[in-house]
Amino acid sequence: MTDITEQEIDVFVGAVNHYFDQITGEKAKIRSSFLAEGDIRPPIYDFTGLISIGGDYRGCIYFSATRVMLMRLLLAMREPRQTDPHLLDAVGEIANTLAGNAREHFGETMAISVPMTFQGAAERLRMTVRERPYVIMIKWKQYEAAVIVDIAKK
Amino acid sequence: MRLLIVDDSSIIRSRIARIMNDPRLPTLMIVGMARNGAEALELFSQSHPELVTMDLTMPEMDGVECTEAMTNLNPEAHILVVSALSDKATAIKALKKGAKGFLYKPFTDEQLIGALLEVMS
Repeated sequence: MTDITEQEIDVFVGAVNHYFDQITGEKAKIRSSFLAEGDIRPPIYDFTGLISIGGDYRGCIYFSATRVMLMRLLLAMREPRQTDPHLLDAVGEIANTLAGNAREHFGETMAISVPMTFQGAAERLRMTVRERPYVIMIKWKQYEAAVIVDIAKK
Repeated sequence: MRLLIVDDSSIIRSRIARIMNDPRLPTLMIVGMARNGAEALELFSQSHPELVTMDLTMPEMDGVECTEAMTNLNPEAHILVVSALSDKATAIKALKKGAKGFLYKPFTDEQLIGALLEVMS
């Protein structure tokens, strides 16, 4: 398997910026991006959406966000329902959108799954492909989220 | 005009439904909302919508397959694909299967209204 490049990681940074700009009219700030290794594990917030990657690529893409960020995003979409199932729906849809947008660069041979979502602890988050997944830390207003890119080319 | 909204996200289904009240759009009656292609096809056969917004990545039956099946049932149906899949090949495939337009997620209200008006024209 071949690692994806730093330029390809930037595709996800671009997708994050585009998402926040389109939905809220305000770009998110990329606080930092780094390779998770050793004691530095990828951050997991209140809600996480996971997309499995197949086709010519292998691995997963996660979007993880705090409850309050998701609630603010739903307000930006004029969505009044803010229950946990709706927040799970939102986090899955965002993960799906970021992965789907990345196909503009990676092409249709990067197959993406429907989202799997979960709340709280990260037992189901295991790095599957890269020993050191790439973490993009996001701040929008004062709210935090992260995109974790754990994919490689077959 | 009768409208069917197809998306596996309830947030997106509701958002599209809210935008349908915009005065720039003709009167649209939402005849159904479906979470996957199989459910959408059943509703399409029952309620005969003239306009459909169609997600692509969905469980059970995906949007491309569903678009093809709907077009076989009614080639006049106006199907607007609303999807995050941003590669050109997917858009071309959906259009070949009978979709009349393609809007990328994430979309603004203005972009959805513009895409719907274009598809209906």
